[in-house]
Amino acid sequence: MSAPDARPTAGATDGVAISLCRTDVTELAALRNRAAELEAIAARRGLRLPPNGHVVTTADLVALAVRPQRWLLLSAPAAPGAAAATWQALCADTAAAVDLSSGITALHLAGPSARDALARGCRLDLAAESFPPGRAAATMMAQVSTILAALPSGILILTPASTARHLREWLVATARPFGLAPPADD
Amino acid sequence: MLRIRCPWCGERDEVEFRYRGDATKLRPAGDADLAAFAAYLYERDNPLGWHVEWWLHVAGCRQLLKLVRHTLSHEIHAVLAPSDEVSLPTAEARR
Amino acid sequence: MRGPARIARGLLTDAQRPLRFRFDGRDLEGLAGDTLASALLANGQQLIGRSFKYHRPRGVVTAGAGEPCGLVDLLGAAGREPNQLATTLPLRDGLVAESQNRWPSLAFDVFALNDRLSRLLPAGFYYKTFMSPAWAWERLYEPLIRRAAGLGRLEAVVGDHADPAETVHDHGDVLVVGAGVAGLAAAQQLGSCGLRVLLADQDVALGAGPLLEPRWDAWRAATLASLARLPNVRSLASTTVLGAYGHGVFGALETLSAEESRRFGGLRERLRIIRVRRVILASGAAERLIAFPGNDVPGVMLAGAALAYLRRYGVAVGRQPAFFVNNDEAYEALFALAAAGIRSPGVVDPRTESWAMTRARALGIEMHAGAVVSAVGGRCAVRTVTVADLGGAHRATLPADCLLMSGGHTPLIALATQLGAPGQWQEAIAAFTAALAPATGRVARAAHGVFGWAAAARDGAAAARAVAAELGLDAEPLSALCMPADAETTPLAAIWEVRAPGKAFVDLQNDVTAADVRLACREGYEHLEHMKRYTTHGMATDQGRTGGLTGAAVLAAARAVPVSAVGALKPRPFAQPIPFAALAGGEVREHYRPKRRLPLHDWHETAGASFVSAGLWLRPLVYSRTPGWEAVLEEARAVRSAVGITDVSTLGKIDVQGPDAARLLDFVYANTFSTLAIGRARYGIMLREDGLLFDDGTTTRLGPDHFLVTTTTANAGPVLEHLEFHLQSVWRQLDVLLTDVTDQWAQFALAGPRSREVLAAVIPGLDLSNEGFPFMAAAAADIAGVPGRVFRISFSGELAYEIAVPAVHALTAWLAILAAGHSLGIRPYGLDALNLLRIEKGHVTGAELNGNTTADDLGMRRMLKPRGDFIGRALAGRAGLVAPDRLQLVGVRAIDSAQRLRNGTQLVAPADRTRSLGYITSSSPSVEHPGWVGLALVAGGRARIGGRLVGLAPAHGETTELEIVSAHHVDPENTRVRA
Ligand SMILES: [Zn+2]
Repeated sequence: MSAPDARPTAGATDGVAISLCRTDVTELAALRNRAAELEAIAARRGLRLPPNGHVVTTADLVALAVRPQRWLLLSAPAAPGAAAATWQALCADTAAAVDLSSGITALHLAGPSARDALARGCRLDLAAESFPPGRAAATMMAQVSTILAALPSGILILTPASTARHLREWLVATARPFGLAPPADD
Repeated sequence: MLRIRCPWCGERDEVEFRYRGDATKLRPAGDADLAAFAAYLYERDNPLGWHVEWWLHVAGCRQLLKLVRHTLSHEIHAVLAPSDEVSLPTAEARR
Repeated sequence: MRGPARIARGLLTDAQRPLRFRFDGRDLEGLAGDTLASALLANGQQLIGRSFKYHRPRGVVTAGAGEPCGLVDLLGAAGREPNQLATTLPLRDGLVAESQNRWPSLAFDVFALNDRLSRLLPAGFYYKTFMSPAWAWERLYEPLIRRAAGLGRLEAVVGDHADPAETVHDHGDVLVVGAGVAGLAAAQQLGSCGLRVLLADQDVALGAGPLLEPRWDAWRAATLASLARLPNVRSLASTTVLGAYGHGVFGALETLSAEESRRFGGLRERLRIIRVRRVILASGAAERLIAFPGNDVPGVMLAGAALAYLRRYGVAVGRQPAFFVNNDEAYEALFALAAAGIRSPGVVDPRTESWAMTRARALGIEMHAGAVVSAVGGRCAVRTVTVADLGGAHRATLPADCLLMSGGHTPLIALATQLGAPGQWQEAIAAFTAALAPATGRVARAAHGVFGWAAAARDGAAAARAVAAELGLDAEPLSALCMPADAETTPLAAIWEVRAPGKAFVDLQNDVTAADVRLACREGYEHLEHMKRYTTHGMATDQGRTGGLTGAAVLAAARAVPVSAVGALKPRPFAQPIPFAALAGGEVREHYRPKRRLPLHDWHETAGASFVSAGLWLRPLVYSRTPGWEAVLEEARAVRSAVGITDVSTLGKIDVQGPDAARLLDFVYANTFSTLAIGRARYGIMLREDGLLFDDGTTTRLGPDHFLVTTTTANAGPVLEHLEFHLQSVWRQLDVLLTDVTDQWAQFALAGPRSREVLAAVIPGLDLSNEGFPFMAAAAADIAGVPGRVFRISFSGELAYEIAVPAVHALTAWLAILAAGHSLGIRPYGLDALNLLRIEKGHVTGAELNGNTTADDLGMRRMLKPRGDFIGRALAGRAGLVAPDRLQLVGVRAIDSAQRLRNGTQLVAPADRTRSLGYITSSSPSVEHPGWVGLALVAGGRARIGGRLVGLAPAHGETTELEIVSAHHVDPENTRVRA
């Protein structure tokens, strides 16, 4: 789905740029002792499922792991539930594939000050050396449960859909002193 | 403030976790009597020293952890998986 | 020069940038770089306030954050801010400040009478005097004391707080607290090994210690330049470390510079929560006062403060500075003032000889060795200083306009103490030092007992190397920058108090005298912490930094034990006052707590909904903004007579999959789910392990190993956690996967006798007949082309369906249903109508599932499965939970239907109105019955159906005659849902 450039917005050369990513989300959860099988199934589809705390990007997917034996797959928007159904068919007795496309909202934060802005609400060490591209983590930000993934283009933020507006308003307010490019969507 | 080294997520602030009580209390068998369940639920020690306790990493990996924590110094001796055996530190092992 | 006392160029002030300010109505001028205190002193203003208890005139005592007396009110656009520290408050153009605690004016203060009556105001006076009668406390004593005592004035802040703050989370390998020579050397050493270092100092300038010593200017400049080249070292000036919280967590308050404040939209403070692996405490020492009569007269201040005012701001604190000191370090102020042309009328030192005294004599300064100050002449300013020998005999009277004192230096070990380090008495400096466990960090410099600049730099670097080694790095000593050698010094001679007539203060902010400490001791408060609470010594905002140890030493003398046996006060966080706004950080106003919004939030808003907070959710209460019940009743009537639709997306939804899914549900629900057929839903109740009801909801079997659990809105999070906890602890052998899908699915209840017709129009393919889709059936279906799910379940008691679609398609489905129902009179209904309908039907929510009720209380005893284990099984059977007189769920209606019902109304028997038999849990006006209907929990309630009780709502002055009825106010046979 190439999250970073899904909805490019103005001024990533400024301090911070926030954009909303339209993406389907599928959660793959391996049944007991079936993680290796699931990884093999994914590998046959050209996807190396990342280890816990990591994110990988392929031509058409972003895959990240922040819980043991579970992965979130982000893919380009398609028919409702289609991505999850495809995966469920592939790994019928190995894993559960649950569609979370509506349940999770993805935001992308870019710019040289993105990590500084996030440090206003995120308790994790987001310094580039501690959280380099390829790392992912589940935590809380602005009192909202959040998954962060460091991509070469910036930080991908996943949050429950019902709190996405709260988080986005908070991010916009917090990033303003760093030179925020106003969001292009809505 | 505790910093808990989650085996899945790394070191995290206490607020990300939910305390779930004494991990040495095992739920009685399903057909156990009232007294056994009352003991399981209500009879808790309040030790000065090492305490084995459940912490659920609700804001992170959502995994249940078994901590060995000192109730006076707050030192965390070990963070274990639920099925791990617990060995309490000996007196010499304590700083 | 801006002010008569500005005699030199200050290192921090800019002579080209004058600033105007106003103090107590006087227009004055200072310089950019000044603090309010330095600007006042530059203008010769030494009197700055009145003291807390005795209303004695007070002046500035220090040049920093430990200031006990220089507290002022700041008047800004947002109103009055009390207790601002003049010694750290940066001067800005147009600043308006007022002195505190004086009435009617600073020079003439009515309450100064307290001082004359001070024999009547001993330590513990408030405890002793205002004890009885009890009524008098609130009405008489407290208002009186509040008027007379207290610091500053609080004014109600109306509207938004003018000064927002923020919280920032910081991480690093090592925190270095204090950027004196030791801290700078430590940061440089750590930084050059590649460690991530945070260097924090409360001062506006780093290296402020060496700033006071011109010989160290070159070293300071070179070190700062080398730190600036290290990207892994972050220097935080104006940042006070407020507390140590264990596990490497520290709190710090940063005061923003004017420039950064503008960038952050007027932000003034920033709370930093710092997490590191190790700490180096190099916070130095605080100069301490000596308790002698008149040691609080304006113009009596610490010798080091006079040096700071001269070097930093170019201000001479007086033209005739007398000295009363017991250590060689304090002579630096004497030498610096002398070099600036200010001649001292004399130095009083209890020691007979020292290196510094010799140097002072060489300058021709009058020395009074082996002597003490026994009195200070003057009330609002120093006029004379009386010198006595150690035996008390009068020796001389010096003319003076200020008196610079120093009783030695007390290492600042508060942070080390908070980290569990015991204080260790050091006779050589007459103070406590502390040491940290290696796993925590190191203490350097003064708190380590090291004095002298060069020695401090070496000590800081050594501490850094030790910490680096702890972290597995081998740090080479850095090639030392050229350091000036430390002058030879003679150790201090401890002197705590001069016993002579008059008040000798140990705590200048709380007005505690040495005599108060002795009184506390006589009255049995011998322990330091008891004395502290009895006298309030060390309990003020300065936490006794200047006189804390002096008070402890006076107590030691009274107990005839060494100071080491008394110990030091344990200062707890915060090290200095912190505004509440800084603690709140950015979580204020619209960011105070998260709001969860429904997928259709914007539609509801456009449709005219009033919203209500339900937990974090914003839910439509009623589609009207007119107060009153009319719109609610209309919405409910539409459901009972035709059809209505409501948004129930807030229900918790958990996807449960895996070979053991059914077994898990049988464990967590009191009723059975393993027998549920695919494509069917079942109402379930969960108990807590203690046997009380936890939650309820409908669970649907989507496949052999696949269920969808719904929870109440309020318990969505707790139920998921409950399941996860048991799955990972008690039932680890079960192979089940749980996924929270609450936000994935938008869910609507379509209810009313015409709901089938509406649904048929949007789901053409599904047979909705009673045979094809009976009550409690469930199916996957396309709703207006959106793949979703349909359930035949009812909360309202009518023929009803719930429709779930992925949330991003909610609007498509919702609008299609509204369009299909238009000709049938479909209406959206809000939470009030939903509540009305369920109360009429007798369905329970959180008001009844309130943590005190059992399944039997709510008439659901038969749901408990007779065989097999489930959470709560054993304890649900204990005697207290099955007693026949427990509160049971019933319905209530007023005999006089014109009377309204209220939640919380107590129910009593007509014959005995003193004993509560229960209370109303839920109530609403009804569309099926005249007037109101309610649900209530009543002792032995089911047996009372058909009888009458009286409802008492004394807060509203209401008494209501009630009839007790079945909780099912409508359709008790449950025929409508199967229509
Ligand atoms: Zn974790």
